Amino acid sequence: MTRLVWRNLMRNKRRTILTIGSVAIAIFLLTLLAAVLQAMTEVEDPTGASRLVARNRISLTFQLPEAYGQRLASIPDVEAVTPLDWFQGRYKDDRPENFFPRFSSDPETLLQAFPEFVLPPEQLEAWQADRAGFIAGASLAEAQGWELGDTITIEGDIYPVDLELTLRGIFRAPDSPSQERALYFQDRYLEEAMDNPGIVGLYWLLLDDPEAVPQVIQQAEAMFENSPAQLRVETQEAFVLSFVQMLGNVRFLFGSIGLAIVVSILLITANTMAMAARERTSEVAVLRTLGFRKGQVVTMVVLEAVAVGLVGGALGVLLANLAFGALQPALEASGFVFQALAADAGRAAAAVAVGLLIGLVAGLVPAWNAARLRIVDGLRQVA
Amino acid sequence: MIPIKYNVRSLFARRATTLMTVLSIAFVVLVYVGVLALAGGLRTAFAASGDPQTVLVLRDGARSETESGFASETLRLLSNLPQVARDAEGNLLASGETLHLQVLQRLDGTEANVSIRGVEEGAFHLRPQIEIVEGRRFEPGTGEIIVGANLPSRYPALSLDGRVQLGRTPFQVVGVFESGGGAYASEIWGDVRDLGDAFRRPNYYSSTRLRAASRSDVSALIDAIESDQRLRLEALPEPEYYEQQTEASAAVFIYLGNGLAILMAFGACFAAANTMYAQVSVRRKEIGTLRALGFKRRSILAAFVLEAVVLGLLAGGLGALLALPLNGFETGTVNNLTFSEITFGLRTTPGILLGGVLLATATAVIGGLPPAISASRQKITDLLRQA
Repeated sequence: MTRLVWRNLMRNKRRTILTIGSVAIAIFLLTLLAAVLQAMTEVEDPTGASRLVARNRISLTFQLPEAYGQRLASIPDVEAVTPLDWFQGRYKDDRPENFFPRFSSDPETLLQAFPEFVLPPEQLEAWQADRAGFIAGASLAEAQGWELGDTITIEGDIYPVDLELTLRGIFRAPDSPSQERALYFQDRYLEEAMDNPGIVGLYWLLLDDPEAVPQVIQQAEAMFENSPAQLRVETQEAFVLSFVQMLGNVRFLFGSIGLAIVVSILLITANTMAMAARERTSEVAVLRTLGFRKGQVVTMVVLEAVAVGLVGGALGVLLANLAFGALQPALEASGFVFQALAADAGRAAAAVAVGLLIGLVAGLVPAWNAARLRIVDGLRQVA
Repeated sequence: MIPIKYNVRSLFARRATTLMTVLSIAFVVLVYVGVLALAGGLRTAFAASGDPQTVLVLRDGARSETESGFASETLRLLSNLPQVARDAEGNLLASGETLHLQVLQRLDGTEANVSIRGVEEGAFHLRPQIEIVEGRRFEPGTGEIIVGANLPSRYPALSLDGRVQLGRTPFQVVGVFESGGGAYASEIWGDVRDLGDAFRRPNYYSSTRLRAASRSDVSALIDAIESDQRLRLEALPEPEYYEQQTEASAAVFIYLGNGLAILMAFGACFAAANTMYAQVSVRRKEIGTLRALGFKRRSILAAFVLEAVVLGLLAGGLGALLALPLNGFETGTVNNLTFSEITFGLRTTPGILLGGVLLATATAVIGGLPPAISASRQKITDLLRQA
């Protein structure tokens, strides 16, 4: 039986390969869509959900007084507080490879609130000592070919200030490699360049216990309820997700695209399977004459389609996982994907299963036709 | 030359296979047109917002009105420039405006940054396309606002007579306005001073719009503004500004649509190849007969390529037809430069539809070429014998 399936698949190699190819492309696309959606919506927090972001309640374009930092740090269970501002700006030109996050922060507290950053102590000291110094993530420094002591210029856009910065440290973030694509410079440099307005965009808070999240949020928001700038405090995850939400209903968009891909590929596969089965009408009749039962004929045709679906599915998943690395920079440049695409066993299994299912459904109709066939009709068709 | 009727007939002879192939390619077109219709909708909305005779003034280096800002005295200096037009009553056609962003809750509980534009009377003179469709205009100093027509259905707080807290002040919605399909329909408008107080940013403008006295004065006006070093401002024609907004915001969809479509087209190419191979293999005898009748190899090749073209055109047409109902479907995304939400209807522009049909045709032809070549290469004797 398996030999018959194998022989049938090999009879028209070109057709089998073409069909496997189209299933593989479909599964490749589905895997990619699922991986991108996951990277966008399932935000990794290397601190295990114990980091909060505080911002002005009105929106991100409004800032907070500098004095809020110390008061936030006084809340019980708050281990560290660091200011963080999105500088944006322009490095060299607008090409995507030159777009990477540029933050201003306080070198005294940044690493306390971001314990996942690994920076040699002497480099941290060098950064703290140089007001115009900056630190860069290892993958960013590598991509740009920067070395310690190099000087770069970043043109301001949100802030009407150009930055002249010197690289003082290169940090790693082994637990969340996507964070290595950013640079951090001293907030005091920006403050001075802007004539000391005394404001901060965001405060990032690290708690000593994830259980404390709800009460810290409540306490922090209540603390400034009657102040000129009211706070919105949320988990790092919720904060990052709010950016994805702005893009629109991404789940719906990706879902409908995925559905269209599956339907399209189902048609392709079913079509090929039907073609393959039709060509063999007389053979099916011969098999039946030889004593093969209807069930066996059905199983044979379905197995053939399932094999195509399975091989195509596996191939597609494999290709998709190979493509992740190449796609990462472009995705991050889009500004909506904040973490690395990662292979995922569950997702891979699901994708292969979709391939299998496509094969199964595609095989059913021709199998049904083959089974229904009257032997005499099948044999007659030869002539 | 073999008549095209022959090809159309033979496609119909194997109806089921043809239909399935056409459908599978049509779905590729559907995805392509659907995703690009998002970009098309954005483009349409932004294009309807710019007037070539209006010059937009921003702080030097700012890429959008959200990033820009300057003291309100600057407006007086700008209004005195000789190239600025006056209306029939002699009022200067100049408008100082602020753009604030505030997070508001959408109907589904998610949140987005909504643009809130502080305007003066001049803003309406400069944009004749703004039309109140419900209620009335706001009265300055009374805590009233009007909202773009795209907002009430998305934000529960922004319906007529609704109340909403903006910055530190509660405001009442007294009117709903349309903007000729433009991006303003996603904005809240209120008095520039009321909103400046509410957001604690008094005496400043995000941008200024100036109407040039004539089309030919536009570049002189821009030169006059940019050459004044004290102002540190940059000026550009309004359509150019909105073109930048389109590019920044639509890029995601353009890449997504093209990328997906090209990859899917590869898959569909294989389907087309399978179909055309099957068409060729069942018609070996016919091909042999045609050749024996004196038709050249070239004619056979042309006939099968033509058949693939017909297949592709059918698929493209069907895909475009399937995508048409997407038109006008309301959705929202983020304007990547102002960082605020823009609501728009999907637009399957003729260009996008044509692109879809071309994609389908290319898919079918690329898939159909190898079978067509193999059909034309065979010897007459082989063709006739094997059948």
